Amino acid sequence: MNDRASRANFSELRQLGLYALYVVSGLVAAVWLLGIAANSTGSTVTGGAIDADGKAITIALRTEPPQLDYSRATDSSSFTVLFHNMEGLLTYDDNMALIPGVAERYEIREDGATFWLREDARWSNGEPVTAHDFVFAWRRVQDPATASAYAFIMYPVKNAEAINRGDLPREALGVRAVSDHILEVEFEQPTPYFDKLVAFVTFYPINEAFFESTDGRFGADADMLLYNGPYRMTEWVHSASMRWERNPDYWGDHKGFIDTINVGYITQDVNSRLNLFKDGQIADTQLVPQMLGEAMERRWQIDRSMDGTVFFLQLNFREGRLTANRNFRKALLLAQDPVEFVYKALKEPSYMPAVSLFPFWIRGVDSYFRQEHPPMPHEYNVAKAREHLEAARQELGLEEFPPIHLLADDSPIGAVSSEYYQAVYARNLGLELRIDKQIFKQRLAKMDAGDFDIVVSGWGPDYDDALTFGDLFSSWNLNNRGRYSSPEMDALVRIAQSELDPVARMEAFGKIQDLVHDDVVIVPMYERGWSYVVDPRLKGFKRRAVGPEVDYTYAWIDEQATD
Amino acid sequence: MYSAADFLPLGEQRDVHGISRPSLSYLQDAWRRLKANRRALASLYLVLGLLFFTIAGPWLWRVDPAVQDLDQISQRPGVDRAALIVPDYQSWDGAGETGPLHVVGDATSQSVRLKWDALPGAFGHRIYRNIFPVGPELAYGMPLAEFFDNAITHHEDRLDLRPGRYYYSVVALGEDGVIGGNYQSLTVDVQRVTTLAEAVDRGLIADQDQLEVGDSIELQLHPLGTDYLGRDMLARLMAGARVSLFIGIVAPALFVLFGVVFGATAGFIGGRVDQFMMRFADFVVALPFLLFMILFKIAFGIGPGESGVMPMLVAMVVLLWPATARLVRGQILQLREQAYVQASQLLGARTNYLVLRHMLPNTFGVVLVTLTFEIPKAIFVEAFLSFIGMGVAPPTPSWGSMSNEGIATMLTTPHELIFPALLISMTVLAFNLLGDGLRDALDARMRNSG
Repeated sequence: MNDRASRANFSELRQLGLYALYVVSGLVAAVWLLGIAANSTGSTVTGGAIDADGKAITIALRTEPPQLDYSRATDSSSFTVLFHNMEGLLTYDDNMALIPGVAERYEIREDGATFWLREDARWSNGEPVTAHDFVFAWRRVQDPATASAYAFIMYPVKNAEAINRGDLPREALGVRAVSDHILEVEFEQPTPYFDKLVAFVTFYPINEAFFESTDGRFGADADMLLYNGPYRMTEWVHSASMRWERNPDYWGDHKGFIDTINVGYITQDVNSRLNLFKDGQIADTQLVPQMLGEAMERRWQIDRSMDGTVFFLQLNFREGRLTANRNFRKALLLAQDPVEFVYKALKEPSYMPAVSLFPFWIRGVDSYFRQEHPPMPHEYNVAKAREHLEAARQELGLEEFPPIHLLADDSPIGAVSSEYYQAVYARNLGLELRIDKQIFKQRLAKMDAGDFDIVVSGWGPDYDDALTFGDLFSSWNLNNRGRYSSPEMDALVRIAQSELDPVARMEAFGKIQDLVHDDVVIVPMYERGWSYVVDPRLKGFKRRAVGPEVDYTYAWIDEQATD
Repeated sequence: MYSAADFLPLGEQRDVHGISRPSLSYLQDAWRRLKANRRALASLYLVLGLLFFTIAGPWLWRVDPAVQDLDQISQRPGVDRAALIVPDYQSWDGAGETGPLHVVGDATSQSVRLKWDALPGAFGHRIYRNIFPVGPELAYGMPLAEFFDNAITHHEDRLDLRPGRYYYSVVALGEDGVIGGNYQSLTVDVQRVTTLAEAVDRGLIADQDQLEVGDSIELQLHPLGTDYLGRDMLARLMAGARVSLFIGIVAPALFVLFGVVFGATAGFIGGRVDQFMMRFADFVVALPFLLFMILFKIAFGIGPGESGVMPMLVAMVVLLWPATARLVRGQILQLREQAYVQASQLLGARTNYLVLRHMLPNTFGVVLVTLTFEIPKAIFVEAFLSFIGMGVAPPTPSWGSMSNEGIATMLTTPHELIFPALLISMTVLAFNLLGDGLRDALDARMRNSG
């Protein structure tokens, strides 16, 4: 009986095996057939990454711009789209130097600035770009009804802050059109770096008549904008694709060498962008560390650039927080090693271990700021860290430390960072860190509310000047989410904002750098970079630290280069 | 032909009507049939093995699942662990002899120090590292650093160095910061090293005097490799099994029990009460699980960085019982009408007797089978919730969260995904097959057959 049962079982097993074989071979066949089908249709659907005859390229964007109303834009995707299709008073050349845009020349004085606009700058409806367009746009940014998140960047302009608070009418803004082609700006206080500001999207002009005709839908669609940049957007299928065509009305011929830029894909997934690149559907893509091995095997020319953003652990200075104690913060700084974090845990070759609030590429008077004012080298010293921790324990009168609340975002790098620091502080200081993973918006909301002890955060530059980092920890800056406040810092930031002598100004930044280190306002982690790969036929493509993330305005197609 | 002898009376015979087989109880009989089913038996052993792995494993493999071994990050199982002891790391200012691209000092997994003379016509240099020699395509590999300054002609590579062969290149940068075709290349063999301080830190030796610089040492053993932060996979799988199996067994046990009581009551009482109770069950079925999971997490006051396992358990118990309740109610309704139950009633059996003697034993099989099918489902739910980040808090692992972490590096270090995924699949399969076998074995109508 048992014998029969086992024989029955054996035949059952054989049948099971047979079924498994059928299923697997069926799946393999299906995958193969689908592959053939995809290959036969794929090439006809799009023109591929590079179309040399049509002088067109196809690219992918990471995210869909929420809207393109540049008075209110805050995200890097919007900045990228606007940089290609718009132009401000000044703009950047292919080496990140400021060059004339709508303004032919300018002059910055202690009390204000004058911009002389070129006469051949045109909107895409043929009307000239005039000084009135700037006045209208800037007033609109400060109008409290616009609720522009970047209104603060214009505060050097006279009365801007008061208008934004609602204390003054928008007509009081210190900017006026002397004639159609002369723009006069009055400063609230001396602002020697004002030329770097006006390249930013918030300072772009708006044609008032067109704005009124959009009836509140300004920037919501491709035809709800007027363009004055090297490209103009002719099509915007939301969340799917865009089409930028060379703007025939653009005044210059120094940029815009490609006729059509198709934004064929909008996807955040690095893996799908890599697959699109492998299939020859997009012209460039970012590489994350786990892709580098494959990239090397495929013999790609891998490129790198700095992204401009500095990442750090921001500490909470609000009363009652452990991190308000200086010895405690000192212990946090000494007990970790960003070098180990970047090279061993993140393994990203384009990242640099951070030592300062200021990234290395910030310019000083004659060379790099950090060459003129070298930051304090980082000291990894666990014994010393434990001494500071013990001192903090006694100062706070604690038996032992309660768990620390570590806020982080839910990206893969956020996970690695928070778990790495959790283990490091547990090992070296015996502290328990509780990780609070939140989506980006929720993390910002919690940072604003002060609901953290330590937060993994980063700060990217808005303009090419040390002040974009330097004023971050002034007591009035809303992005100072740890609420660090010291009279010394505030005084230094005031100097950095208004000092006209560049040497003295950089001196102030040097002191800010030292103060941030001495007071342990942040624990620097890394300076972010990109490893990426570009189709060899596309030349002159740039990834930038300041301004747009990617820049195709100086790119051209080299037909000789092999695929 | 018959002889007279054939008709003689037989002697005294014993056990003419004796029972040839031992008497078997219901469970004994079921166990006998289960034993005959090899698939179910193998699954049973697998389940027992998993329980052993979960409960006894951490006693045998005493490695802290949260400790990060940064010298062995994303290590595949079974690689060579021999390391040379070198002095503590000292920073380097670029000192060393000049010449074309060369290594200063030894090339170790601690650091590779490169130095070169400025290339002719260069405005700066970029350093690359490759896993292949530079071929005619001029693919130099991955860029490690670049300097727009001919004064800097050294670079120290400390990026994720593994023992093996690397091909370094230094490439001249043009005035515009674009790489030219002018380069120098160097082949470097990297040796695995560690320091005395690290060896003590990792518990490889008791104190620094035991060994000295230049000695060789075996690094920590990781039988199943390590994850992206150098944590031991085996220890993490064991710790993860605790969470996964705890949820997988406790939650179904609780909600199946509740379902049985609820369903039996409804079925036995019948009528309006039954209608009302079953409509309530329908209502519970309609509640969205994920939403309630989140609500419970908030209602429990589970703060950030705390484990979400308890709300998960409560959400499962509160929301997943109706399936069992319906099943048991159906069974009870059916049994109530059976002739033997009616006969029993006619003979004056009381409710207690009916329920305990007739109803429950006859639903026992169904309930046990449901339970074994609910266990893999619950394990899946836990894995899914941890996968999307609603479950355990780091650094506590669970199989689901480990799969989530492993999926990012699926192509380069597949073992980080394969092991937890394999364990989830195996557990789920084992419980399913066991459930299958139990269904056959416990079916009262199949009693004494097979």
